[in-house]
Amino acid sequence: MSNLLELHNISKSFGALTALRNLSFHIGEGEVVGLLGDNGAGKSTTVNLISGIHKPTEGYLSVDGKRTMFSCRSDSADAGIETIYQHTALVDSLSITRNIFMGRELTDRFGFLRQAEMREIAMEVLQNAVHISGIDSPDTLVGNLSGGQKQAVAIARAVYFKKRVLLLDEPTSALSVRETEALLNQVLKLKAENVSSVLVTHNIYHAYQVCDRFVIMSHGTKVFDVQKADTTINQLTEYVVLT
Amino acid sequence: MTPILSESAAPRSRSQRQSLLKQIMGMPAGAIFLVFVTLQIVCIAGALLYPDDFRYLSPQNLTILMKAVPVLGCLALGAGVLMIAGEFDLSIGSVYTFTAILMATLVEAGLSAFLAAPLGIVAGVLIGLLNGKITLRFGLPSFIVTLGGLLFWRGAVLLYNGAVQVRFDPEPVFSSLFSGTLLGVNAAFIWIILFVVGFHFLLHRHRFGNHVFATGGNRGAAEAIGINTDRVKMVAFAIAGGMAAIAGILATARVGSVQPGQGAGLELQAIAACVIGGLSLRGGRGSIIGIFLGVLLIHTITDVLLLLRAPGFYLDMFIATLIVLAAIFNHLIERRGLA
Repeated sequence: MSNLLELHNISKSFGALTALRNLSFHIGEGEVVGLLGDNGAGKSTTVNLISGIHKPTEGYLSVDGKRTMFSCRSDSADAGIETIYQHTALVDSLSITRNIFMGRELTDRFGFLRQAEMREIAMEVLQNAVHISGIDSPDTLVGNLSGGQKQAVAIARAVYFKKRVLLLDEPTSALSVRETEALLNQVLKLKAENVSSVLVTHNIYHAYQVCDRFVIMSHGTKVFDVQKADTTINQLTEYVVLT
Repeated sequence: MTPILSESAAPRSRSQRQSLLKQIMGMPAGAIFLVFVTLQIVCIAGALLYPDDFRYLSPQNLTILMKAVPVLGCLALGAGVLMIAGEFDLSIGSVYTFTAILMATLVEAGLSAFLAAPLGIVAGVLIGLLNGKITLRFGLPSFIVTLGGLLFWRGAVLLYNGAVQVRFDPEPVFSSLFSGTLLGVNAAFIWIILFVVGFHFLLHRHRFGNHVFATGGNRGAAEAIGINTDRVKMVAFAIAGGMAAIAGILATARVGSVQPGQGAGLELQAIAACVIGGLSLRGGRGSIIGIFLGVLLIHTITDVLLLLRAPGFYLDMFIATLIVLAAIFNHLIERRGLA
C-alpha cells in the first residue's frame, strides 16, 4: 500500500522554542490514524504543518511518495488535504450553501454566483454524501446549527471537493454523545470510500473506536506508533500519560 | 447512522408554518422594512386626511426628500460594505468634504468637471486604501485609524483651501447629469437607485460579496479556506472612500458650492443608517436593502419632524432612540440566530 502522506524527520522551531523534533510518521490510503498526545505535545503544530500554515525548519513532507513543500493553505488543499478545525471552519452568518462553496464559488464569467446550481449541489451533498439529519434546507444559516451539524457541514465541504485526507482537530470536544457517535460513523463511512482521516485528539476512547493506527506524541516527537490490533486502551493511555 | 440526529431537530420543521409576519421578520432587513412601510402608511394617511397641515405628499416635499437621500445613501453604502467586512471608516465625512473641495477648486482652475469628478473619486479611493493599509499593516482597530483620518482630512481641507466656501460651476451637461431631472425624478435619486441595485448584486450575488461576508463573519475561517481577507478589506476600504467622494460630487452638484464644514457628523449618520438597517457592528451581517431603508427612514423621520415644525433637537433625540432600538433588536437577532 502506498503512503498518501509522509512526514520525514520534521523539526519545527519558533525562535528558541522547539515545537517538533525529528518527527516522522505516515498516513496510508483509506486509513484512519489517531494522533494522540497530551496538551503541548505538538499536535497542533503538526496539524498546522500538514495543512500548510507552518513550514518545517528541517525535514520534509511527501505526498504519494513525491517530496513536496506546502507553503500555504491552498498547497495542502490542492494535495487533497482538508483541515477541519473545531471553531474556525465556518461562518455563522452565512447559509450552509455559501459555507460549502466559500472561497470556491461557482460563478459565471463575470464572477456572479450561480446560486441555483450551488444550492442544488449543497442539497445533494447534505442528503447523500453526509447524512446530517435535522437540516431541512441548505439556506439555513450555519449559526443556527448544533456543533455536530456544523462539523458535518465542514465534512460535507471536504467530501464534495474530493479531499483524500481529513485532518480533524479535536473533533469531538464540543459535541454531545449522540453527535460524537454520528461523527465517528461518518469517519468510517468516508474510510469505506477510501478517504483517510487523522483524528487529532486527547480523547483516547473516541480514537480507539474508529482508528486503525495510533501515533502518540510527546514533547514534540513521536513516542509510539502502533496498529490497533497490537495494543489496548490501557497501553495507549499509559503512553499518553507517562511519556 | 442516519436517524441519530433527526429527533433533536424536529422543532425546526415547524418553521414552514410561520405566519407571513414572521417570514418577513426573518428575512434580512425584514423588520426595518415593516417599520418603514408602517411609517409610510401613517404619513400618507396623515397627508390625505390633513392635506393643508401635513404636506408630506406635496411635490415640493417629495423633491426635497429625493434630493436629500442620495448623499447619505452613498456614504452609507460605502460604510456599510466596509462594516460587513468587519471594519469601520469614521473618516468618510471628512473625505466627502475634502474630495468635493478638491473637485470644485480644480473646476474653478479651469479643468472640466468630467475630469475633476473622477479625480475626486480617485482621491477618495486612495484615502480609503491608506486607511486600510495602516489598519491592516499594524493590526490596529480601524475605528482608531479612521478617527485619525477624520481629524486629519478635516484639517487638510482648511490647509488646502482655508475656511472659505468654494463655488462649483461645472458645464451644464455635468449639472443636469447629477442634479437635473429625468421624467420628474431627481437625477441624484436615480443615481442612488442605480448604486443600490449595483451594490446589491455585488454584495449578494457576486463572489466578492460572499468573500466580504465571510471575512467579516469569521476571518479565521475565511483565511483557512484560502480567501485573501486583507485584500477583501482593502477593497472595502477603497469602496468606502470612493463612495464618500461620490457623495461629495452629488452634494456639490446640487448646491453649487462646497462649505468646508459640511461633512461633520455625516460619518456617524451613515453608520447609524447601517445599524438601523440591520448591520452588525461586529461584521458579517446585513444587506444593501437594509442600508438603503435605514437611510430612507432617517430622512423620512427628519422630514416628518420638519413638516410638523418640531424643534431641531427632537430630530437628534428621535434618531438616537431609533439607533439604540435598532441595535438592541439586531443584538437579539444575533443571539437567537432567528431562524
